[in-house]
Amino acid sequence: MCRHSSRCHLNRRWLSVLLLCCAAPLCNAATGVSGQVTAADGKPIANAVVFVDAPPVAQKAAAAQIVDQVEKAFVPGMLPIVVGTWVRFPNHDQIHHHVYSFSPTKTFELPLYKGDAAAPVLFDKVGVVRIGCNIHDWMSGIIVVLPSTQFGVTDAEGRFRLDNLPAGDYRLEAWHARSKAKPDQTAQVAHVAADEVTMNFQLTLTPERPRPAMHGAREQP
Amino acid sequence: VKLFTGRSLRARIFGAFAAIILAVLLATLGLTQLMVGRDARQTLSRELHTTGQVFASLLEERAARLRSSSALLSGDFALKRVFATHFDPSSYDAQTLASAGLSYRERLGVQLVWMTDEAGMLLAASPDSTQLGKSLADFPPLRQALATESPAAEIVAVQGQLYQMVAVPVLGPDVIGYLLLGQIVNDAVAAQLKQNTHSDITFLTPAHVYASSWPVGAERSSLNSQLARLLQSLHSATPALLSTGSERYLSMALPVEAAAPQPLFVLIQGSYDRALQPLHALQWRIAAIGILALAAALITGMFLTGSITGPVGQLVGATREVLRGNLQTRARLDRSDELGFLASSFNEMVAGLQERERIKDTFGRFVSNDVAEAVLGGHVPLAGERLTVSILFQDIRGFSALSEKLRPEELLQLLNRFFTAAVAAVEAEGGVVKQFTGDGVMALFGVPQRHDDHAERAVRAALGIVRKLQVLNAELHEQATAALRIGIGVHTGEVVAGLIGPDQRVEYGVVGEPVNLASRIEGLTKEVVTTILVSKETASRLGPQFALGRCALLAVKGGSRPVEVVEVLVDRGTDAMHSAA
Repeated sequence: MCRHSSRCHLNRRWLSVLLLCCAAPLCNAATGVSGQVTAADGKPIANAVVFVDAPPVAQKAAAAQIVDQVEKAFVPGMLPIVVGTWVRFPNHDQIHHHVYSFSPTKTFELPLYKGDAAAPVLFDKVGVVRIGCNIHDWMSGIIVVLPSTQFGVTDAEGRFRLDNLPAGDYRLEAWHARSKAKPDQTAQVAHVAADEVTMNFQLTLTPERPRPAMHGAREQP
Repeated sequence: VKLFTGRSLRARIFGAFAAIILAVLLATLGLTQLMVGRDARQTLSRELHTTGQVFASLLEERAARLRSSSALLSGDFALKRVFATHFDPSSYDAQTLASAGLSYRERLGVQLVWMTDEAGMLLAASPDSTQLGKSLADFPPLRQALATESPAAEIVAVQGQLYQMVAVPVLGPDVIGYLLLGQIVNDAVAAQLKQNTHSDITFLTPAHVYASSWPVGAERSSLNSQLARLLQSLHSATPALLSTGSERYLSMALPVEAAAPQPLFVLIQGSYDRALQPLHALQWRIAAIGILALAAALITGMFLTGSITGPVGQLVGATREVLRGNLQTRARLDRSDELGFLASSFNEMVAGLQERERIKDTFGRFVSNDVAEAVLGGHVPLAGERLTVSILFQDIRGFSALSEKLRPEELLQLLNRFFTAAVAAVEAEGGVVKQFTGDGVMALFGVPQRHDDHAERAVRAALGIVRKLQVLNAELHEQATAALRIGIGVHTGEVVAGLIGPDQRVEYGVVGEPVNLASRIEGLTKEVVTTILVSKETASRLGPQFALGRCALLAVKGGSRPVEVVEVLVDRGTDAMHSAA
């Protein structure tokens, strides 16, 4: 699993691929990479994140993202963001929630609150943050903090698309909440030139676990 | 005699009574033993099976309670926070974790609290924290919990103790670690189970008794010593009888799913002897009733048999008295039943016998016993009958001279001595003395008792009289008294025998010419100077053993023609015997 261990892997990786990717700004052709993430049996995998593994660069603060709480569930259930993004956790239920994370990537706690009372949280480290609600065991969400803005989420057919990649070589990795492989184990180098590059990923997922009963909560998106 | 007769009959009646009652009693006891015993065993078996089910559900309930306690605890935010510290080496604090474990132990009343990370590595343990850092991924309940990320329960042997253990994932909100709680299964638990199920409970493997409701002592040692055999014999679900200590227990071993070095069983035991107690009480009661019935039957029997055997004994006694000749005996029974009838019949019968005997006695004084019996026996036709008989006449010679010489008393005494001897000699040969003639006797042979050899009998009687006279004469000689001399005549001929005389004075006798002739032949003895003379008719009937002497044709007094007579000298057979003696 990639929770606390993925952090160090990502750090090492960024150093090693620095040289490879530094040529990217030189080429300005607006091309991209697209492809499909599937399981070994060819079934498409939705909600996988395919991202460019590059060292994080200081960039202007991105717009704050939102993980909403609607009908006792986090919406969206999985939120990919680029490192350095603020996330707000508004509560649209009529009841209190107590949002927390024990993930080493970002440990935080927003004690019982309603509406917009909680302060936004800055995700300043790359990695995976699993969030929960102290008083509703079944509430579970994931915030994937990525090193770059170049990422895509697969649709129901497992398809993704990274646009506006200048020509150059890119190290692409795939992540999924239940993937057995760490992201860097999935790494592939995409040589982006004039044409659009097609790149497929194959992931092995752990079986879905029964989670605590939902008690009328809305299904995870 | 009475007692003996009574006893033998009584004993037989008693024996029959007792045998029937004892047989019924034994059959009842046996049947009760068989049926109630089987029933008790079946009931106990059923109870054990029920106990087995109750036991399983109790164990399940304990596990469920433990699981829910653990689930509650694992949802505690503070616990999650404590668990989460292991993600960050800078904040990880094993001591805090262990102390938290101690607190949880006390809060939940469990004996073991272990905490692992999400991969099963031991982070904290209470009370024993020496194994920290060790992977418990293969520890049974945790292995299952790891595989399913959901709670798992299992009975586990830890350091020689049995624990019911649960492993629950701690969610934050994904699995951030596992919490393991263990509740000990010890003697106290077994004792509590015994309270709930009323059966003795023992947790054991073929090698070890982990916990038992048996107190530590003899029973438990005996369990320990027969463990292997015990489990072998109890592998099936059918309960078997085992002796533990001094009692027999119906025992059933149920396998319990557990992670122990050897298969774990729970031994459920119910006292067979205690289950049989009602049966034994019942049997005692039946036995008591049986003994009472036996006693009642014996007492009743004693009265009944007494009322039968008493009178029967009296009758038997009376009969024996009668056999002994005591005809005065009467059975004294005043009853109206069959025995009373029997007694009165007996009395009538004895009275009849007595009457007959009295008549015979009276008769016998005048006639010989044979005649009396013949007459009383009804053998004598009143009209008389023609019979060939032998008649003996005997006479004392010189009786007139003798009566002058002796005093009358002395004479009577002498005559009686002689006649006693003569009568004995006649009766010895089956003859009857018909009459005494003052100095002689007349005897008949062949009547009333029929003898074909009456002639020989008469001659032998004559010889017998002579022999007895010789003895008497020897005695007389010693008393310086003169010897007696006699003459005897015997004749054989046809006479008419019958009752003679008026009704009041009737007597049995014979009439006919041969009687007179016999008397005359006797008279001839004087003339020919011999002792015994017989007629030719008599002599022709004698066997060769008789030595005959002279033979003569003599004229008799008043006779128209002479009579051929023979002198009898000796009976070789009898006289030889006598002379030899």
